[in-house]
Amino acid sequence: MEILDLSQKAPVDFIRLGSVSLKDVADLSLRPRNIGLHEAGFEELGYADEQNFVAEVGKQRLDPIRLTPINETTQVLALDTSSIELGETDAGLLCAVRGTIVWKDRNGYRYTRYGPFIFHVTEANKEYLYNGLRQIYFGTNDAAPVPSVLWMPGRLRNILERWLQGQLSQNCENSILLWDGSLTAWTIDSPVALISEMLRTARGNGNVVLAISKKTKFVVSGQRVADLIDDRDAPCLLDLDEIIRREYGSYLCFFGRVYAAKFTPSCFSFRLDIDKSVPGEAGIDAVQKLIGNDLVVESYPETLRLAHILSKFSASEVIGMQRLVTENYDIRVVSRPDVRQVLFGPYGGGRSSSLGGEGLL
Amino acid sequence: MMQIYKIDGINVQVICCPPEDVNKGDYVLVEDLATAKALIIQVVNSGYANVPGILEDILRASSTEKVEGVDLDPLEMRSFVNIIKDAELLTCKIRGAIDKGKLSNDVNWIPSRSTSRLKKLPDEDLIKLAGIGQEEAVDIGVSKGGGKISINISSIDGKMNIITGKKETGKSHLSKLLLLRLVSRGGVCIVFDVNGEYVNLGYTKGERKTALHDKFIPLTPGKDFKVSLQYAGPGVLLRIMESVLELPATSAWEFRRIWNELRVKGALRLEYMRSAIRAVSNNYIQDALLRRFESLISTNFFTDDVEKATTLDKVLEKVSGGGAIIINLQNMTSKFRQIVVEFMLSKLSQLLEDWFLRAIFLFAEEAHLYLRETYWDDIVTRMRHLGVFTTFITNQPDSISESVYRQADNIFLFNFTNEHDLEIVSKASRVDSETVNVIARQLPLHHCLMLGKVLNDFPMIVRIDSLDEETMGETRLFFANPKQK
Repeated sequence: MEILDLSQKAPVDFIRLGSVSLKDVADLSLRPRNIGLHEAGFEELGYADEQNFVAEVGKQRLDPIRLTPINETTQVLALDTSSIELGETDAGLLCAVRGTIVWKDRNGYRYTRYGPFIFHVTEANKEYLYNGLRQIYFGTNDAAPVPSVLWMPGRLRNILERWLQGQLSQNCENSILLWDGSLTAWTIDSPVALISEMLRTARGNGNVVLAISKKTKFVVSGQRVADLIDDRDAPCLLDLDEIIRREYGSYLCFFGRVYAAKFTPSCFSFRLDIDKSVPGEAGIDAVQKLIGNDLVVESYPETLRLAHILSKFSASEVIGMQRLVTENYDIRVVSRPDVRQVLFGPYGGGRSSSLGGEGLL
Repeated sequence: MMQIYKIDGINVQVICCPPEDVNKGDYVLVEDLATAKALIIQVVNSGYANVPGILEDILRASSTEKVEGVDLDPLEMRSFVNIIKDAELLTCKIRGAIDKGKLSNDVNWIPSRSTSRLKKLPDEDLIKLAGIGQEEAVDIGVSKGGGKISINISSIDGKMNIITGKKETGKSHLSKLLLLRLVSRGGVCIVFDVNGEYVNLGYTKGERKTALHDKFIPLTPGKDFKVSLQYAGPGVLLRIMESVLELPATSAWEFRRIWNELRVKGALRLEYMRSAIRAVSNNYIQDALLRRFESLISTNFFTDDVEKATTLDKVLEKVSGGGAIIINLQNMTSKFRQIVVEFMLSKLSQLLEDWFLRAIFLFAEEAHLYLRETYWDDIVTRMRHLGVFTTFITNQPDSISESVYRQADNIFLFNFTNEHDLEIVSKASRVDSETVNVIARQLPLHHCLMLGKVLNDFPMIVRIDSLDEETMGETRLFFANPKQK
């Protein structure tokens, strides 16, 4: 796959609808999100489907599936997205979303980054934005319940991510596609039909979809899964599919077989979902090709790590975007007092509190 | 755009984003629109602003250094982020204020951080505002911004100046320029010329006489500058004997007795004095006096020949309408230099006390080579009140007493890189150490940081004007152009 192939496919409706929403914001005042000098990172609204699993195995024995890296050249592609709140306006909030696809070829790692796409989300336009984008990118005509304005950055990010996943499924062949998260469908962000269609398309092109979750924690019979896997067994998988399905299958729709994966001897293990429609052995082979073709550090694939790094917004990018919006859309920057800071000072916490107290714009 | 970030005492931090053409040494006007007042601040240092996320950006860039890719950035955010990353933090010092359109010293107020308007203050505007070079002005150079810098001659009159900087940065050049400007305005000057580089100031580089040619009188002690014992007088001679030649007090008493005896007889001549010393009964005293006396004689500075002897009064008369006496101290022994300088300063004090002279400008190059320690305080206090206005020129700032720095009215600071040197200069009361430490390190050749009354206490970086006169200050080179003699 050439870089050009992906770079020519821009989510034009993200650009269009974002621009429409920003033009509405003219003559409003923006209270920028304060960025503390010592701020280490930003909260992001994660997937609801990356929930923790607690299961009881009783006397059942969990044997690791040992893996042998397969060096047969196979393209590995990973994608990740992120969202960030830029500030509040009189009518709502400004947010930005961005996504990145990373892959490895003979010359090393390459990426295509999409965005940032900036939106002004208000009570008035949130339905138009959310359902408009869902209809375009999820191909559904059903109007979904619109979330609160505060949850919109995460939802917009989710739509971008699903679009990028769809692009990979359609445009890649005989590759391993790494998704960030899981292959569980249960929320409005993960429509069963959409996930099912994307996985079917991917399989049709000879791809295998693997989803790796950083956030899911497994506790089996009171023990962390990482403690159940001996470092000497790495690289290996622990098949938890039956146990998890037994506990949670009644209300979660699993599109993948659920494993705990430990690719290198370390204290980390991750949840790994393998498209369940891929035959079991082919799925394990795909994992062995992943660790044979991609660099794996602390049990985590480098392509996915890079996709995460390249998607994430830094504080200076937030300030840059705030400046972009104020310069291009005639938004007045105002420093209105933050009620949380006024009342609680450094103990205010919350979404818009300033950690460093030395906001710059 | 510039905005106030912090104010602490006279220190002001300004955020400059996007960066503007404001550099170290430049002035910025902080206009407080609510009070119609303004602060005049000077940039003494600059660097990147501590923008949140920069460290993360750098670490992220290093993590993805070898990853090539394409950014589909429809809003072109990158350019905005780059502006943020390049934001500058200017460290400034408050130098003055403007109240009702006039310069004010009242800086005990803080302008509004949110509504103040900051703009670069062009040098020309500052010069006009500060009233620099408006009366009896003499041209001295050009500011960094290209504005002509003229200084009021009165800002040197009655003042003590220091010209310092490392070797070959243009100190002597500025000293000669000041000398020429003073002479052209009728100033009477004396130069202690250690390296013989002022003696040709009456000539152009093409060896033609300048308009001021006749106003420069070079004198070489022991050759064309000799004095009689009688003119020197017992006080001057005893001071030389005691302080330069270290004559013990008992012997000094005997010398005074001999002098009085010869004076009564009308026999104040070198040969008679030698005979009188030889006649001293105490061998130790005789020997002590004789050795010092022979040292004096060996300089050829003292003579009995009336034709060859001159007086400082006569020489000064020649330049009474303005001029400079260049005392050529080149190729002299240390003791001889000290004898000459001791003589000159003692005589000058006498002439000033007697109001023979109204005042005089003294240019002292590398004064530590000939000025005894006790004279530093004398020059700064007593002699200054008498009318000796000294300009010290040195590349060794630690050779000048700390009290001199503290009381200097003007400091002309050329490039320095040595920490120790900068620390000494920063003791000058006319400037804060940060200004000296940061700006002086980065001064280009022939540029100096002027501090003090010459610029009404608005420090400024000035490129010194070139001169047509033969300055002879260039270092002699082994592999020089053959034309260089």
